Amino acid sequence: MPGFAELSSGLDFIFKAVVSVAFVFYIIFAFVIVKQVTKMTDTLEVGLEGLLKALAWLHFLTAIGAFAVAFLVL
Amino acid sequence: MPDVFVNKPKKSKSQHPNVTKHKRLKGLEKHALPGHTKNPLAAYCYFPDHVNFVGADNEEKIILLLRRHPITNLGWIVTSMLLITTPIVLLLFGFLSGIPQDFLLVGLLFWYLITFAFTLEQFLSWFFNVYIITDERIFDVDFVNLVYREITDANLDQIQDVTVRVGSVIRTLFDFGDVNIQTAAAVAEIDFEAVPSPDRVAQVLRELRVEEEIEKIEGRVR
Repeated sequence: MPGFAELSSGLDFIFKAVVSVAFVFYIIFAFVIVKQVTKMTDTLEVGLEGLLKALAWLHFLTAIGAFAVAFLVL
Repeated sequence: MPDVFVNKPKKSKSQHPNVTKHKRLKGLEKHALPGHTKNPLAAYCYFPDHVNFVGADNEEKIILLLRRHPITNLGWIVTSMLLITTPIVLLLFGFLSGIPQDFLLVGLLFWYLITFAFTLEQFLSWFFNVYIITDERIFDVDFVNLVYREITDANLDQIQDVTVRVGSVIRTLFDFGDVNIQTAAAVAEIDFEAVPSPDRVAQVLRELRVEEEIEKIEGRVR
């Protein structure tokens, strides 16, 4: 029968795996937003294109950064 | 015999922009027109500068660029504010004190990423869902979700009926409403939803249709 420490480390591993998978999906979602903003700005030019693209890329890079932090910290 | 009294010419009280005359104005002169603005976030822009879109002809002049009235964004702005402040309030009142620091850090990072994505998505949805009236056609550009785009257009001479709907107290107060355009094109109806000054939009459409008919009669149709 597994001890408390083994159970705890097992739960930690599962939690880390779930968080990692969630972040991977989030990074894909963030990349879709980047592509979507590019598509929107290609369809319609009304100003602010540069800013919106920069925001979308910032969001994508922050998502990657957050994934790295989560991987290191947990 | 000299005139004893001559009436002063009456100034037109109509809000109507007189599109035909304004179309002939040069670049800088258009900047003085009522309804013209350089603000890229404007919901109503008469003769906008630097607007370009897929499917526009080179000779086509953009008369109006419309979006939903800014007040329609209130819902998601309040939601975003709540999403931003909720973790701060929970932290201040110690509701999250039982959670280990590492988990808390990762949780907060994830929470604020989602909040940022939500806010950006809502803003993009408002900013890029536009209605465009040119001197030849009307366009309804819709980005329904992240991957679905729909652009509907109809020629001005296909417009059969224009209905203006201003329904509620808020809409009356902030002067915005729906302009329903029935057309003889493949898409029978184009709706300009919650646009500012719907009466003025309808007037611009009416004037452009009259001009289009005159062009047809004179054989100047492009």
